[in-house]
Formats: sequence, structure tokens, C-alpha cells
Amino acid sequence: MSSPLRVVHYLNQFFGGVGGEDQAHVGVSVRAGAVGPGRVLEKTLGDARVEATLVCGDNFASESEAEAARAIGAELDRLKPDVLVAGPAFGSGRYGLACALACKVAQGRGIPAITAMHPENPGASSARRGVYIVPSGSSTTSMQAALDALAPLARRLGRRETLGPSEVEGYMPLGTRRVHDRGRPGYQRALDMLLDKLHGRPYRSEVPYAAPERVSPAPPIADLARARIAMVTTGGLVRKGNPDRQVSANAVRYHRHTVAELESLSPAEWEAYHAGYFNHLVNSNPNYILPLSFLRDLERQGKVGRVHEHIYALPGVSTPVAVSAGHGRSIAEDLKAAGVDGALLVAT
Amino acid sequence: MISAIYNFALTTGANRVIRGARIEHVCGDPTLSAEKDYAFGMRIVTTALQTLTIAVPGPTLFDPMAPGKTEEAAHAS
Repeated sequence: MSSPLRVVHYLNQFFGGVGGEDQAHVGVSVRAGAVGPGRVLEKTLGDARVEATLVCGDNFASESEAEAARAIGAELDRLKPDVLVAGPAFGSGRYGLACALACKVAQGRGIPAITAMHPENPGASSARRGVYIVPSGSSTTSMQAALDALAPLARRLGRRETLGPSEVEGYMPLGTRRVHDRGRPGYQRALDMLLDKLHGRPYRSEVPYAAPERVSPAPPIADLARARIAMVTTGGLVRKGNPDRQVSANAVRYHRHTVAELESLSPAEWEAYHAGYFNHLVNSNPNYILPLSFLRDLERQGKVGRVHEHIYALPGVSTPVAVSAGHGRSIAEDLKAAGVDGALLVAT
Repeated sequence: MISAIYNFALTTGANRVIRGARIEHVCGDPTLSAEKDYAFGMRIVTTALQTLTIAVPGPTLFDPMAPGKTEEAAHAS
């Protein structure tokens, strides 16, 4: 007979019974046994005991993250549970982030951990890698459903079992790959899939499709003649000789250059360094990938208000989508802060 | 976004997509005379600037090579 599973439960100030938003600043405290949702959790888990409940204000967890992590860690060192359960956080963003933090702290100590939250909770998107998160509804009405989904996984994690792939077990993908034998060679599986498709039978791709992010179009500029226009290129534009040491692929950063004094990009001063296309033609006229010469003429003619003094460049090749999105977001923030009205992005 | 592989831009969610010349020379064409090369590049760039003044519902292609069709947007999907 195994002894009951020893669980520590993490809750925010609201679910922990400390108070509402006015108590979101409170630091980490410990209650013996289960509190609030912890009682339902205990019942759902079956042969388990919530030994203690860690309660922390959502603002404290996000504003004093290191301090919160230290306090949670100290309690976990003392309590040494079989598993940490955090939340469910549902749609609450700060709570979701705090639950992910608590899970990471536990895992850092070799204690298995799991939480539940709505898939669109920022805690889910920012922490998905490496944290077991069970998808829940967005409000507390889905408490029982969330705990029903979480409990069997928490039990197995607490027993040091290895979970199967996310699509089988029901947690959100961790973003990791595990070597696995599917039993039959790829060409056979591909042919079966093709036959299923041709016969209109259901089939499932082994390569998950990541739909591209949809961005709402920026509203139109009312008057170009008064607009500040910036230029961005993914063509790998560098200063001649690449003194900034830009890489030619898989950009981990972008480069910002000043063109305030320039009328045009001269091939004596600029060139392309990009592993994804034949750079020779751009090296004879860099304005092909960053149209400064054209914009200067239009600026002189009064058709464009002002050419922004900074340009942005990186080699847009072999870069993971998530990294590219980060570069794009950062460039866009920079442009916005500089009062830029519109930007031309030249992609090779 | 000005791109010669405009289908990529449309399917990955860019909202204002302007068809560029070729991957190796997006805003112009070195096989043309210097004057024509410049005029061609200018056509692409001015088309791109014009799209900034037009409201689009989602990924939309503007083709500077289609004469007189710059305002007639072809919607993706």
C-alpha cells in the first residue's frame, strides 16, 4: 500500500481567502491543509492530502518575482511534497503567470508540478515551454472540469511517472520533442494518410500546423505629405565590410543604422550579407532592398513628409517564427515611440 | 511589405503586400537601363506608399506591374 500523495497547493490572494484586488500586494504565506479550491482538489485527487497551501498576492508575484520565487522555494524545501499543484488560474493573467512561476520553482527543485489555466492566459503562452499546463475554461465555473482534467496527471507526476505526449495526455504542448518509435516506417504512414484523404476518411497529420498570427491592419495614413516614413529590410543590408558583424542567417538581433545624412545608399558604403539569395545585384545598388534614394526624391517633391532617420536591417532567413515575431514587435515599438506614421518593409 | 515572393507574405499574414520585382532586386531591375530601372523602382515604391493610405480588411495584394490596377486590390484567400 502506498501512502497518500503529498500535495502542496499554490493559490493567489483571492482563492486563498486573503482578499480581493486590495490584497494583491501581500507576500507569500502558508496555510496548513487545503484552502478553498484545494478542498475540491483533494477530493478529486482521491488518495491524496493537500499538506499545505501557499498563498501569494498576484501583484507581489509579478512585481517582486525573485522574492516570491525565493519564498515559494523555501517553503517547498521545508514541505518536500510529492507534487505541486498551482491554480487553476482560468483567464486571470497575473495569476496565470504566478502559477507558472510556482511550477518552475518546484521543478527547479526536482518536485513535479502542474497547473491549469485558459489557453489564452499570458501565463500559458509565456511559460508553456517546460511547464505542465492543463487547458481550462476562462472562469471559475469550469473549476470542477479543470480539476478533473488536472488530477489524474498530478497523481501520475507525483508518482514520478513519465507522461505521454501532450496530444494523448491533454496538457498543452511543452514545445519539446521526444524520440519515439511509431512502429511503421514513414512512407507507409504517409501512404495510409494519403489514402484516407482520397477516400474522405479522417486522418491526422504528424506535423502540427501552426496557423500564422493574424494582425489587424493598421489604419490608413490620412496625408502622406505630412507622414514620417521609415524603412525596414530583411535583405541583410550591412555597412560595407560588415563592421557590425551581422550574421548571414538565423538573426538573433536586428541592426539599426542612421541615414539622416544620406541621400542614397551607395554601393561603396553598403552591401548585403544574407545567406538566402544571390547578393551580387544588391551590392551594385543597395537601394534595391532599402529604397532610400526613391524616398529622398519623394521627400524633396513634398510627396512624403519626412524620411525617418533610422533604418532597420536583418537577414530574414532560417529564423524561427517566434524569434522573427520578437524582432518585428521590437522594431514596431521603436518606430512607434519615434512617432513614425508608416513603414516600408522590403523582404527579399 | 514589398516582396517578390508575395504569396508568402499574403499567407503568413502581412496586410499590405506590394509585389516586388525579383528576390535579388526587389525595388528595381538591373537588366533595364539606369533610367528605366529607376522608373520601375519608383513605381514599386510609390505603389507601396499609396497602400499606406488605403484601408485593407486583411492580407491584400497590390501589383505595381499591373497597369492602372494599383487601386484594385486582389484579396488573399
